[in-house]
Amino acid sequence: MRRTVAAFVIVIAMAGLAVAGELTGTAYGSGVTIAEPTPIATLLAKPEGFVGQKVRVDGVITGVCEKRGCWMQVTDPDTGQGVRIKVEDGVIVFPYESMGHRAAAEGTFEAVKLTPEQVTARAAAAKEAAAGAAAAAGEPCEKAGEPAVKAGCDAPVQNDTIYLIRGTGAVIQS
Amino acid sequence: MRLRRLIIATHRDLGYFFAGLTVIYAVSGVAVNHIEDWNPSYAVRTELKELGQLPEAPTEALADEVLRRLAIDEEPTSVVRMAPHQLKVFLDHRNLTVSIPGGTVADERVRRRFALFEANFLHLNTGKGLWTWIADLYAVGLLVLACTGIFIIPGTKGLGGRGRWLLLAGLGIPIAYLAWMAW
Repeated sequence: MRRTVAAFVIVIAMAGLAVAGELTGTAYGSGVTIAEPTPIATLLAKPEGFVGQKVRVDGVITGVCEKRGCWMQVTDPDTGQGVRIKVEDGVIVFPYESMGHRAAAEGTFEAVKLTPEQVTARAAAAKEAAAGAAAAAGEPCEKAGEPAVKAGCDAPVQNDTIYLIRGTGAVIQS
Repeated sequence: MRLRRLIIATHRDLGYFFAGLTVIYAVSGVAVNHIEDWNPSYAVRTELKELGQLPEAPTEALADEVLRRLAIDEEPTSVVRMAPHQLKVFLDHRNLTVSIPGGTVADERVRRRFALFEANFLHLNTGKGLWTWIADLYAVGLLVLACTGIFIIPGTKGLGGRGRWLLLAGLGIPIAYLAWMAW
């Protein structure tokens, strides 16, 4: 066990610290290479204009995929607007305990249109959640159905579309 | 005969050397296989609490009030007003999701699972870097263990008899499964 712990510590040390703008922390994937972040509010104000572009966003991690760490939500603490950073399962794993930490993340901005069935199911689930304690718990809307995007069934939706970033890297403040 | 002695010695020494890592990977393997049912690295416990009606106030003041009512004397890592009706307060390994103005709080505590967190960290190669090379070395070691293992015993208990059938049966399982999935 001692050897395992020692190896764990060495690996952590080898992972080193990464710097993204003014943010210093642990790098995930290819880290952050874009110098200037795009404000999330700007991104979501006219999302279609950013689709297909590589962008960087900064903010606070307000959600992480609980089982696989395969997505995280970065939210601008000033506006409350957030965007999901979806990564390939196992390629990058965001730690669940990183919630509340500041992060910079980058990748390709993408739009995923929901089917009419998914829109209806999500609306019903959101209404149900808002009526009960689940709204506070932020429980995933199991009844809403998970679109192929696999970014969590409670991913923010705008105009029946989930806007997300296909993440290639991130820096999470320790 | 000399070759068999070398095979046995290699198998024995590699077996000792990689025994610990094999146990770690095996335990993590079982844990991660069932990832649809649980989080193998973290234990997350959520408790619902009622704080009563909360006043309309700026985000920071509201967070202070929530912490006061919960008797939490800790500086939050961050506070985010997710929506007019929802506030999130992040503490060390603890996340509070507050319903406004109703005052329902989902108090979520996050704990690393003892030993499993570390085992998964290694097995899933979360740290990348140096561990990628060590894991590659381990994979080569397993290959050598498998290859030397089948030549340890000669005769009817080895590849000349029972060993051959067991080897084929072991290979047959994944092949049969893949064929079944394809069909």
